[in-house]
Amino acid sequence: MARDTWRMRVECAEMARQIVPGQFFMVRIPGLSDPLLGRPFALYDIYERDGVPAGIDFGYLVVGKMTSRLSQLRVGDRVELWGPLGNGFPVPEARRLMLIAGGIGQTPFLAVAREALGRRHYGSPQRAVPRSLESVSLCYGVRSSAYQAGVDEFRSVPGLELKLATDDGSNGHRGFVTDLLRGAIESDAPPDAVYCCGPEPMMHAAARLCASHSIACWLSLESPMACGFGACFSCVTKVATPDGWDYRRTCVEGPVFRADQLALGEH
Amino acid sequence: MREKVVENRPYGLMPRNGQASSRPCFDDPREFNKENGVSRLRVRLNRLELANPVLVASGTFGYAREMQAFIRFDRLGGIIPKTITPQPRAGNPTPRTVETASGMLNSIGLDNDGLDAFLSKHLEYLLSLGTSVIANVAGKNRDEFVQMAERLGKVPGIAALELNISCPNVAHGVDFGTNAKLAAEVVAGVRGACDLPVIAKLTPNVTSIVEIAQAAADGGADAVSVINTIQGMAVDWRRRKPVLGAGFGGLSGPAIKPVALRMVFQVARAVRIPIIGVGGIQTVEDVMEFLVAGASAVQIGTANFYNPSGAEHLVGQLDALLEREGVADVNEVIGTLRFPDGTGCLR
Repeated sequence: MARDTWRMRVECAEMARQIVPGQFFMVRIPGLSDPLLGRPFALYDIYERDGVPAGIDFGYLVVGKMTSRLSQLRVGDRVELWGPLGNGFPVPEARRLMLIAGGIGQTPFLAVAREALGRRHYGSPQRAVPRSLESVSLCYGVRSSAYQAGVDEFRSVPGLELKLATDDGSNGHRGFVTDLLRGAIESDAPPDAVYCCGPEPMMHAAARLCASHSIACWLSLESPMACGFGACFSCVTKVATPDGWDYRRTCVEGPVFRADQLALGEH
Repeated sequence: MREKVVENRPYGLMPRNGQASSRPCFDDPREFNKENGVSRLRVRLNRLELANPVLVASGTFGYAREMQAFIRFDRLGGIIPKTITPQPRAGNPTPRTVETASGMLNSIGLDNDGLDAFLSKHLEYLLSLGTSVIANVAGKNRDEFVQMAERLGKVPGIAALELNISCPNVAHGVDFGTNAKLAAEVVAGVRGACDLPVIAKLTPNVTSIVEIAQAAADGGADAVSVINTIQGMAVDWRRRKPVLGAGFGGLSGPAIKPVALRMVFQVARAVRIPIIGVGGIQTVEDVMEFLVAGASAVQIGTANFYNPSGAEHLVGQLDALLEREGVADVNEVIGTLRFPDGTGCLR
């Protein structure tokens, strides 16, 4: 898809029917004990055959042992996967929805945009999309243009406004993707809902911006996890409670959280 | 060392009626766990009797609810839910796990909601699953173990207590498991506080696990679980820091299986106490290795994370393997390993 960035298409019709944008699967390579554990992969999109879901596309950046092995698989190889897991992004109840993606954090947003714009339906039973939406825009930031993945696909979604940012200015705005969010918030038509996925500092910055303008904001967290279904208690994040914070499992209570639920200042 | 007579089974490892079963299991799973006492897989660990030797290890199976989409609970020999402490514990800072070569390190730090929440939120569900429930508990001192045993001992339906005297991830938590005198005292205290069978889960992070196992036996334990995780560390050299938020963690997974097998056999050869083998078990071959090395039952741990229905399948595979091998009763293979020097298990 881009430098070090791959798409993996898995034929799994039943799972494809169930998943909603923002949910994830655990994926591993069968028969290997190194790498041993599954890794969480967000839905990039489902693909259809004869108008019905036939399987799932995942997008991933090669960062370690598992993703490196996955990138060497060939067509027809088998993977093990379990899911769909976690809670996806909510069906937007906003007029202007803005999606903020940092790096490989863009993966959930093709499906989010297609669903929000009524281009594709997800879930079993299918989730209804409210008619309240006036606009959906995606702000997508990466290190440099070589890492921009799936831009043509985002452009192919009718009605999706795409704004790009690169750290080095090689394509689009030179600087942080959160600069684009700030610009939108200060415009005449600010977003009234923001979905974020990407590196933690970016999401925290986006969450602070939204909070200071009373804009509803959701974050999709990534956290090291061993199982994906709540058994291992690895992937905890600090959730705000009346008396401070408590650890909650990202895999079963997230990975999508409302930003104001999280105890982002606690480290 | 003198070789022991195999027929001498001081811990009642015979199946209940001494008869082998020719019944093919698994056509109807509901049939499988019936109290008919003729399954070839039934095992007894002193006062604890299990429908089959395949348990799931504490801390790898949540409170079972997390697993319900993946597994048929009533096929398992038993479930050991996540460790319970007297009070809620937030657990350790993140990252809490990191994968290592053929294994993983964890430092969860006994994140749990405490005994009251276990009793009110989880126990009724666990007891409805049609399998033995073994509650795993950890206390900071002997009194905390005893108090939890008193309360859990009054709850009908719990099959046994497993004492986590071996968690490497909590300060002061490991002392009971590394000091023979303390281990014996805490086991004896729990034995005196309830009528439940008592299992001591032992740490491998000691000079002589045999000495601790003997102490647990002296304290009155019905069985010992061998082993908990091996303490380790992963390093991020660029940041000059450990990878895990807590610094050290416990190693589990296939990487530790040889260590676990060695320790199971060492205990089996020296101490007359039933053993539950734990450590890196993935396949039915692994299960057989542990049984032969002296384990009367096994716990599936890390594998639950990446093969969440695997433990159920192992039960069927074990039955089929024994059938193929012409073994009428799993107890016939337990502790049958012979070491090069002629020594063997005390069974």
